[in-house]
Amino acid sequence: MLTINNLVKHRGTQKILSGISFKARPGRVTGFLGPNGAGKSSTLRILLGLDRATSGSALINGKPFAELHNPLATVGAALDGSGAHRMRTGRAHLNWIACAARLPRSRVEDVLDIVGLTNAADKRVGSYSLGMGKRLGMAAALLGDPKILILDEPVNGLDPEGIRFIRTFLRKRAESGNTVLLSSHLMGELAETVDDVVIIKRGKIVADGALEEVIGKHATLEEAYFALTSEQAGDAR
Amino acid sequence: MSVSSSKKLTYILRAELGKLVTLPLIWHTLIGAFILNLVLAAAFTSAGLQEASGMQSILNIGLASMGYLQAGFIILGILATCSEYTGGQIRTTLTTIPWRGFQLCTKLLALVMITVPAAFIIAASGVLYTFIMMRDTTVVIQIDTMLRTLLGATGYLTLTTLLSTAIGALLRRTTPALVILLGYYFIVSPLWRDYLPGIRNYFPDTAGYYMFMPTSSDEINVLSPLQGTGISMLWTMFFFTVAIVFYRRRDA
Repeated sequence: MLTINNLVKHRGTQKILSGISFKARPGRVTGFLGPNGAGKSSTLRILLGLDRATSGSALINGKPFAELHNPLATVGAALDGSGAHRMRTGRAHLNWIACAARLPRSRVEDVLDIVGLTNAADKRVGSYSLGMGKRLGMAAALLGDPKILILDEPVNGLDPEGIRFIRTFLRKRAESGNTVLLSSHLMGELAETVDDVVIIKRGKIVADGALEEVIGKHATLEEAYFALTSEQAGDAR
Repeated sequence: MSVSSSKKLTYILRAELGKLVTLPLIWHTLIGAFILNLVLAAAFTSAGLQEASGMQSILNIGLASMGYLQAGFIILGILATCSEYTGGQIRTTLTTIPWRGFQLCTKLLALVMITVPAAFIIAASGVLYTFIMMRDTTVVIQIDTMLRTLLGATGYLTLTTLLSTAIGALLRRTTPALVILLGYYFIVSPLWRDYLPGIRNYFPDTAGYYMFMPTSSDEINVLSPLQGTGISMLWTMFFFTVAIVFYRRRDA
């Protein structure tokens, strides 16, 4: 369970998050939507302990990220890009992560196989395409076989086959009782994958609920999204 | 330290070592420093053969390249921390090892494990080359003096690397860190030595020289090797403490 409670983030004089609250529950895929600069990445970064909140809390199973006993086995995270140095090989990148998390080397081969990177594992990350970088980030997130996945734009840059793989994979993870929180701009894709939707606009939550509830009277999630995030729409729910 | 903490340290240390040794830039820097040092040692030896003799001269000439060699170790230290900020690796590091102070200390330890043997081998290669070329000019080989000097040089290069690591952690970007450190070691410090003679021995580089600089009878050394080591360590610890405070507090 991921619990965001009254989270506030200031950067200089700029207010990035204005007291947002929502939950991502086990057994469900939660989609986190919003325009560029709305505060999605900041929320995920605070949740992962990368950024500090000005106030409020972002908890993973009731604890801040830094207090998790074995973070990689609890939460798998893939943010923007591969998260790897461009001069290191994909396999070497996964190897050091596995070593730090006390995971066997065989697990590296498993995740390379899952994301379809086995043949490119000994190439330098700098030679990877955008989609391959995403796959490597996903492989790192899956290394510890975590119960919780936090993914920032997971299908961005993937080919249709990769998008289909991610959709099926995330649905299966949720159906096994795991928690999945993902941000995305691809509305059609998100509507196919998520159970719950949280929409953020200018650091405030403007919609939070099951997919059907958020769509409401609109024909599609895309229409609901634009209705909620357009300039004319109200600033908060 | 509990068994669990010690196991955690072992695994994370191994991971940090793995990160360093799988980064080609680290090897390129060390190999480049090794080759450059030998070339400089050959040049200094060739010049020194005309007029110098004796064990002290062998050490002086063999370590004459230290001023330039330290540039390689400054680059090594900066790469160790600034490479984290390439390709967003810092996010992977901190989501795998979220205990920031612990992680940075472990990285430092891993770097020491690489730097100490590398610095010793590189410094010794220069002295060895000079010794082979000038062996006819000395009758007595003072192994203990040579070893003490080489250990001092290794300590100096290691502390320079760690100080650079701390500056790299503070600045997070390779180019500004390189400009500041190389600018300090090669421009600012030599100028300061002339303008501030009273305190010049307390700068990190000048104090560090006393760790390996052979004492000569006609020169009054202000600091002993132990004092030089102490002052260098204090500078390194100061910058490393500041780096840890910032690393723990700021957004990644």
